[in-house]
Amino acid sequence: MTGPPAEPLRPLPVPDELSAPYWDAAARHRLAVARCSRCGTFAHPPDVVCQACGTSDPEFRFTEVSGRGRVRSWTVMHQSFLPGFRADLPYVLVDVELVEQADLRLIGRLLDGPDAPLGLGSEVHVAFEDVTPEVSVPAFVLTAGADS
Amino acid sequence: MSGTMAARNKVVIAGYAHSQVERHSDQQLGSMAVDTARRAIADAGLDAVDGFVTGALFPTSGSHAAEDGISLVTANWLAEHLGINPRYAAGFQGFGQIPGSVTMAVNAVASGAADYVLLHRALHNPKGKYHENTMRDARGSQQWTVPQGYFGPLAMIALPYQEYIQRYGATREAMAQVLVEARKNGARLPWSHWYGQPLTAEEYLAAPFISDPICRYDCDIPVDGVAAFVFTTAERAKDLPNQPVYVSGFGMGAPVTRRTPVHWPLDDIMGVGEETARRLWESSGIGPGDVDLPQVYDGFSPFVYFWLECLGLCPKGEAHRFVLDGQIDSDRPGAIPALSSGGALGNGRMHGVPQMLECYLQLSGRAGERQRQGVNVGVACHSSPHFGGAVVYTNTPTRR
Ligand SMILES: [Zn+2]
Repeated sequence: MTGPPAEPLRPLPVPDELSAPYWDAAARHRLAVARCSRCGTFAHPPDVVCQACGTSDPEFRFTEVSGRGRVRSWTVMHQSFLPGFRADLPYVLVDVELVEQADLRLIGRLLDGPDAPLGLGSEVHVAFEDVTPEVSVPAFVLTAGADS
Repeated sequence: MSGTMAARNKVVIAGYAHSQVERHSDQQLGSMAVDTARRAIADAGLDAVDGFVTGALFPTSGSHAAEDGISLVTANWLAEHLGINPRYAAGFQGFGQIPGSVTMAVNAVASGAADYVLLHRALHNPKGKYHENTMRDARGSQQWTVPQGYFGPLAMIALPYQEYIQRYGATREAMAQVLVEARKNGARLPWSHWYGQPLTAEEYLAAPFISDPICRYDCDIPVDGVAAFVFTTAERAKDLPNQPVYVSGFGMGAPVTRRTPVHWPLDDIMGVGEETARRLWESSGIGPGDVDLPQVYDGFSPFVYFWLECLGLCPKGEAHRFVLDGQIDSDRPGAIPALSSGGALGNGRMHGVPQMLECYLQLSGRAGERQRQGVNVGVACHSSPHFGGAVVYTNTPTRR
């Protein structure tokens, strides 16, 4: 045995019947959010009932969105309980409200580094981390030139 | 639909016991639970009980096995190991392990399902890292957050706390006073993990961030510990040795807005928390001004602000100033002793037990050197205001 032990790997998503289109879109560097076929309301994460219209058969369709949003909160991670993220420390996580719908919120990494200037309402847009050749994970970057 | 508690003041706590709280006990958790249960039953002046209730949740996100008698203790397990065939044994599954379990104990006693119900809570600190999780595959709901690096309770509480800081201008110096207060009170409790170990503001301010703005002192420390309380009717308690403490109201609630796992925006916490408080006042027939002893939950320090505001003990957005002004200093006349129990931050991760225990000890006149005068109404909070609840206790039920 030579060399240092391998770094633990990041956990990867396991797409299921409902979420497969989300991860397919992410692999193509597109953000697609589930939308109720009955009333058109976005839902993240999708589930068996649409919270807006109450249908138990929402037939969610993943619809490409702009990927633009505003920061509602953030944290700078100096430790992670997921060993696969240790090599990335410190990293920033942002709670983002997408422009498409009030309170439609996604949490992702902010790829601008731990010292990025952040405030409530900072404008961000989606970016993608290519974690493996097949898997890309949605993240965010600050929108250059935007007032925050 | 009436929100009034139908069994208000009909069921009481008649006795209790509490183990030592230790980082890692030499004794197996189930063994500690048996000893503590026996002491509680004896303390209530009884030889046995015929009902058992607990919320057995093992609150970790780590890769640990949940094993009855070792990492958690269910009601069935405890009854069996006390050699009792109970008339009633049940575990709470829902939001707010302590208020939820108290509700079940009260219901069992009020309905006659059992005459004497032992409610216990057993908490375990496993070997190894408490929250670390080596999962490689993020399935189901985890796929929406884990591949992104969002996982575990520290990031969970960091987001709403950051929102609070940004919105209301809260300083780290203010939160230091929450820790100073919790650890001051915890240092006075012989059973506490932090007995004799207060914390200074300087120590708090020097601690590095783990999940900015959260540092390690903002989190309760995992421990081994067990508490047990005996419930019965007010009528039967007349023949028992201790001053009874009456259960006078409940408030619980949970959000309906769908979120990705452990995503707790500040507005969710405060919106549901304010409704929980409204239910508490309606259930008990009292208001915030009637409470002598509010005991806020503090498993993570920002919950102290959130509960103070939800309960209406200070204006929304003002809790950080309220704390900084010494308004929760338990030694200051006229202040609100919201952490006189030491809380989870001053005891260890006893998950809502310190708040309940402090209400019981002070209202039954059994707090010893720490006994406060003129305390008749207490409120014990548990968990986040939007994912838990609170219970009103009193020692003078005839006033209402
Ligand atoms: Zn719908």
